[in-house]
Amino acid sequence: MTTGISPTSNRAERTPPTGVALWWKNNRKGIISPLFGIGGFLLFWQLSASLGLTKLAGPLSLFTEERTRDLLFYPFFDRGGLDKGLFLHAMSSLSRVALGYLLAAIVGIAVGIAVGLNKALDRAFDPLFQFLRMVAPLAWVPIALVLFQNNQPAAIFVIFITSIWPILINTAEGVRQIPQDYRNVAQVLQMSNKSFFTKVLIPSALPYIFTGLRISIGLAWLAIIAAEIVMPGTPGIGFFIWDAYQNSYVSDIVLGVIWIGAIGLILDRLMTWLQKRISGNH
Amino acid sequence: MTTLVEVQDLEKNFPLNGGGNYLALKGIDLDIRKGEFISLIGHSGCGKSTLLNMIAGLDLPTGGTVLVDGETVKRPGPDKMVVFQNYSLLPWLTVEQNIALAIDEVIPGLSREDRQALVNEHIEMVGLGHAGHKLPRELSGGMRQRVAIARALAIKPKLLLLDEPFGALDALSRGNLQEKLMQICNENQLTAVMVTHDVDEAVLLSDRIVMLTNGPGSKIGGILEVDIPRPRQRMTVVHHPSYYSLRSEIIYFLNRQKRVKQWQAKPHKVLARHGLEKVNLDLGFVPLAACAPLAVAEAKGLFAKHGLDEVQLVRETSWRGVTDGLLDRTLDAALMPSGMPGWMTAGGHGDQPVPVVSALTLSRNGNGITLARRLAEAGVHNVDDYRAWLQSHNREPHTLGIVHPASMHNLLLRYWLAANGIDPDRDVHLQTLPPAQMLADLKDGSIDGFCIGAPWLDRAVAEGHGFTVAGDLAIWPGHPGKVLGVREDWALAYPNTHIALVKALLEACAYCAEPKHWTELSELLSDRRYLGMKKEVIWFSEASADGNATVPHHLFFGPGVNRPSRSEHLWILTQLARWAEIPFPRNYVEILERICAVGVFSTAARELGFEEVSYQRGAIDLFDGRPFNTEDPIGYLNDVTVHRDFSVAEIPIGVPRVLVG
Repeated sequence: MTTGISPTSNRAERTPPTGVALWWKNNRKGIISPLFGIGGFLLFWQLSASLGLTKLAGPLSLFTEERTRDLLFYPFFDRGGLDKGLFLHAMSSLSRVALGYLLAAIVGIAVGIAVGLNKALDRAFDPLFQFLRMVAPLAWVPIALVLFQNNQPAAIFVIFITSIWPILINTAEGVRQIPQDYRNVAQVLQMSNKSFFTKVLIPSALPYIFTGLRISIGLAWLAIIAAEIVMPGTPGIGFFIWDAYQNSYVSDIVLGVIWIGAIGLILDRLMTWLQKRISGNH
Repeated sequence: MTTLVEVQDLEKNFPLNGGGNYLALKGIDLDIRKGEFISLIGHSGCGKSTLLNMIAGLDLPTGGTVLVDGETVKRPGPDKMVVFQNYSLLPWLTVEQNIALAIDEVIPGLSREDRQALVNEHIEMVGLGHAGHKLPRELSGGMRQRVAIARALAIKPKLLLLDEPFGALDALSRGNLQEKLMQICNENQLTAVMVTHDVDEAVLLSDRIVMLTNGPGSKIGGILEVDIPRPRQRMTVVHHPSYYSLRSEIIYFLNRQKRVKQWQAKPHKVLARHGLEKVNLDLGFVPLAACAPLAVAEAKGLFAKHGLDEVQLVRETSWRGVTDGLLDRTLDAALMPSGMPGWMTAGGHGDQPVPVVSALTLSRNGNGITLARRLAEAGVHNVDDYRAWLQSHNREPHTLGIVHPASMHNLLLRYWLAANGIDPDRDVHLQTLPPAQMLADLKDGSIDGFCIGAPWLDRAVAEGHGFTVAGDLAIWPGHPGKVLGVREDWALAYPNTHIALVKALLEACAYCAEPKHWTELSELLSDRRYLGMKKEVIWFSEASADGNATVPHHLFFGPGVNRPSRSEHLWILTQLARWAEIPFPRNYVEILERICAVGVFSTAARELGFEEVSYQRGAIDLFDGRPFNTEDPIGYLNDVTVHRDFSVAEIPIGVPRVLVG
């Protein structure tokens, strides 16, 4: 509030808030409630740790433990081998996810379209897809290791096989759900297959494909941690957590989990944004 | 004009999920000329969209062929462009892009400028110049449909196929878009086929309206030519004289289809009980005061008393419904104008002669000729005034309403006009209208008057829209009014039922004839099941000079009232032939013998103990005193001065046949 120097101050008081004030007014509720929720949760956690109710380190340990504090404030160091900052660990994990996910997207969309267009194929493979999609990421790890005999490709395979199903199934559904109207238009205009594919099929199925992609990115990120935890020896955030556990660095584990959650959230938001951008016209 | 589309003996069978087939369409033949606008109309599920899809090639027939420009339609193509009901625009493309997409596919190799010019031209054509860059979801339904039309027209199809294009639009956008479409079709000489369920839309837009019957096995039930000149305007087209007759024709057709559907939905087993061959009867009637015996027989349980346990009264809005009901056997029997048995037996309905017999005359009198109030205000009070009025206003059309060509109204009106020196076809125009429509037409001045039965004539007078220029008592007192009619094959198949029916109705007639029952009758008939009018306008008495309300106008019962009379039916045949409704039957003696089921009547009357009603009536005696010699009807026809070109022919009605099945 302005101090009453100018005679117009009374009027100024009545003018609607602008800038930061306006933003605060509009977003107040969206900020205060989560703050209370998260603050309360952290407080409870810290109290239960401080009072010795659990062996789990409290959130303050991130700052009180010197080793963890270093990891928290210096995510970019690289002392060679597996001794890296958390950012670099995260990047290795992400690059593995990116590769597996990309493969899943390519194969998933292609097979999804084929299955969506061809009823015979659909009937032949749908039960198999429905079955495989229920297999948990961890269960794939030994199979992947047997298949590839090598940690790196095996980890990528686990990402791939975990994240392909939502993409495939949603794409197929998207193609199946192309309205008869659009098909009629294509028929009446005697569109070539190529035209139909690029001008009707893809744009029409796009919202479904993106729904699949968004569900898959979460699954892929879940899978990488599982894959890295059981495939030690490669840098990655999963390895970091497992390593910290082996050394009983509990506060490091907490820090690692926070990184995982944060990255997962960012990935999901990114896909949501992309989905809105690309399929906004539907 | 050359033919663009030929639909030949088309049939469509859909396989059903549970096995078996559904026959949607059968035996469809239709030729569509270049530049013609055709509407397909019918109830939901009648296969009109299926027919359109088969013309479009989106669906293939299981029998017969569709030729467009002489080539069999095997698949869809841009020459047969379809405008779908739900627009079918691609939602991720703008208006311009949607149209451009169609152009790219159909006319490849256009330069960028040419393409853009074509797009712009068609966006302008449908009046959407400002919305070219909008996405479909930013447009209203009407605007989206315009884009769909623009897209269809941009690729210059030979044939435009519209599937309920305006079905999902609000009334205002629908009207605007109809005008726009009409204008575009006129300017571009388009050939179009449109599926619709909107009667007014069909009349407004079409050159011809194809009416489809209900499925399964829908076929073309009729084709109407719309003779309203183009260019048409939505607001003015309703004033064209053909508009309402076309409209009521379609509505009649659709209602008829609905009635048949309802009838088919019920089980129709012949129930035989109490020694009667059939006790479940559908009995047709038209709401008039003369339907009183039917209402009484139902309300007083007289049908059941004579063993007819399940009699259903079926209310038709016009006599045409009665004719069609007998023809397609949805009715067992009906109250009908006394001319109808002879008219149908002689093939007056325009098809094979169908022998119809009458065993009972249900009512006499009850009619009158009404003229509009505006004529009274112009000084017309009697027939001489009217003749003079016609002569002085000979440039205007003069229309008089009748309810059916075979009704006594038509015959009495014509007789009365002719005897008074007015030619009923040249000096005036007689138009068949449903009773309810007549009153409205009399009010708005589109007809001069009408001849119709009670209570309509009483209503016109009571509501001040007209006056009675001649009552039937002044023309032919005691003329036959309504009769009971059944098909001859029905009568032969169910002889005991026929007698029971006549007994029930004859007893009801006796009840109706008692003056002390008239108040009750008015009340009964005012019920929604029968007339659905105020009871004050339904009366049965002729107010006499001393205000005594016991002088009957309608005759329901008495000596000579109910017995079917051969001489009266002969008079009717003669009059129908005089006005060229039917050829005069050379075999009239045989026909009269078959029409008049005197034996059934006599048996019924004897069993009821009504011996006195069996007497025959005296000679036929009309107001002009012209004698009618029953021995020489052809001589009579040759003798009358005013008549049409009548013919005399043998009517092939064959030997009496019993209804089978």
